Amino acid sequence: MSYFTIDNLVVTFGGLRAVANVSLALGKGEIHGLIGPNGAGKTTLINAVSGLIPHQDGRIVIDGQPVHQMLAHKRAEAGIGRTFQHAETFADQTVITNLVAGGFAHRTSTVLQDVLGTPGKFAAERKAFAEADKMLDIFNLRALRDVPTGDLPFGTLKKIDLARALLAQPRILMLDEPTSGMNSSEAQEVITACKRIAGELGVTLLIIEHNMRVIMGLAQMIHVLDHGEKIAQGTPQEVQRDPLVIEAYLGHGSATHA
Amino acid sequence: MSEQASWKFTPTHFALGVLLILAIAAPLAFGSYHHYLASLCLINIIIAIGLNLLTGNAGQISICHSSFMAIGAYGTTYLVSKVGLSFWVALPMGGIIAAMFGLALGFPALRLRGFYLAVVTLGFLEMSQLLITELPSITGGVRGMPASRPALFGYTLASDLSFYYVILAITLLAIWCAYSIINSPTGRAFDAIRNSESVAQTLAMPLSRVKLIAFMLAAFFAGIGGGLFASLVGFIDPLEFGLWTSVRYIIIIVVGGLGSIVGSVVGAVALTVLPELLRDFKEYNELVFGVLLLAFLILIPHGLVSVVPRIRQRLSGKTNSQPAISKHGAGV
Repeated sequence: MSYFTIDNLVVTFGGLRAVANVSLALGKGEIHGLIGPNGAGKTTLINAVSGLIPHQDGRIVIDGQPVHQMLAHKRAEAGIGRTFQHAETFADQTVITNLVAGGFAHRTSTVLQDVLGTPGKFAAERKAFAEADKMLDIFNLRALRDVPTGDLPFGTLKKIDLARALLAQPRILMLDEPTSGMNSSEAQEVITACKRIAGELGVTLLIIEHNMRVIMGLAQMIHVLDHGEKIAQGTPQEVQRDPLVIEAYLGHGSATHA
Repeated sequence: MSEQASWKFTPTHFALGVLLILAIAAPLAFGSYHHYLASLCLINIIIAIGLNLLTGNAGQISICHSSFMAIGAYGTTYLVSKVGLSFWVALPMGGIIAAMFGLALGFPALRLRGFYLAVVTLGFLEMSQLLITELPSITGGVRGMPASRPALFGYTLASDLSFYYVILAITLLAIWCAYSIINSPTGRAFDAIRNSESVAQTLAMPLSRVKLIAFMLAAFFAGIGGGLFASLVGFIDPLEFGLWTSVRYIIIIVVGGLGSIVGSVVGAVALTVLPELLRDFKEYNELVFGVLLLAFLILIPHGLVSVVPRIRQRLSGKTNSQPAISKHGAGV
């Protein structure tokens, strides 16, 4: 039994099977890629796993703990983290405020303490900000600390989204196109960060990525979705040679020419 | 990392200190009418702060804020005059009763957003108005109900000045609590669900619980404000807590600045004092008020609270930089 398993997940929209009996298994600290043409169901899969949309069938288990019947915030507490395709930072808040929100899962003050403003609450507050400040340095965001995120370029927002998700200290982190909108040096920064997140922190990563060079260099295992179904799984080299995958990407008949 | 180590005396602290000294000393130079008006300002600050947490921070619209004010006003007055409790026990109980109604309203509100939530809260407002008029044995019905001034250490706070100082102390406490909430995980959850409920959930924020807390807090602040209002004015009737009163608090937080405590304070003072200043226009005062409001919303759409940073920016000579203020960033 792997550390993180998705077993026969089914998500339907009306009559359409957006995710059809997809199963994935990830070991602790592994980096897996999730690829497929547009509309293959990659983001839908992540949405269903994080609990933002309902699934019709299947099981999701982290380290022996089934989470597929939990509400979204409970899954986050159980260690499922994610980033968003469009970054979804809080536009009217500063970078640091965005990051501190990520630490919510590990808050130490109670609601009553928050209302009364006890010394314990303010101590917890300082700790939360200190952790967010550390994350600022890791992602080279120090200079933008007090800037509202609404004014920042998309690549920077993607970094903020990732940093925010990390502050929740997830066990599984699903990244939705983490390098989109980035120049190559920024993308390299994120690739290095991903390797450290998996290697040093032991966080299991599932990455949707359109940039093949990025994902082929990063993931040890790649899962390919097409029309909601998983059509292939293997190492980057195996997947690249798979005729089904080539057909899905280049269209019917292309495989014979490849 | 102690607070002392990072704490610096900034111009903001200086301004707050000056304001506090003014709030304490200035009334001594004025008469009873001004003490009454200043007390009304403070009460409106308390009530506006509550609504701003719910609407400005948590993003939940409410057109029944005056209902919670009414529940606090009638609850406190009833507990004092009919049950015989001390005002200092009855006031927080009035707030708690209002918070319970806030919780009750919160449940249907969990499934609704925007216009639909507005309509439900409007229904709640109508219901509360109806209940006040239909329960004359508790509320005095349409004829209203007298309320008395409390006593403190055996000394009745009959003068407007003495009651003003009590209200000032309670207002400062309310500001402190709101400041603490905004700068806490609870406040960040409010801001997060306003921005994106999806993101908030993936950061482990329990949507329903957070919204219910916001409704309860808003109702509690309004209930406390209502209890003080009844005692200040000395008489309450259902007309005090109608639709216009709810709308006035919405105007206060929009004019002052959404999601900002300073905004609530500035907006409440402006909207309490302005109608008094407009009395000279007699029958045109509502027209002038409306025109000022329109002009204001066109000229300063982010609220009065956005003016100071903009001026500061102008003075420091920066022409091209961030929009003057992140209206939720300041945390004050």
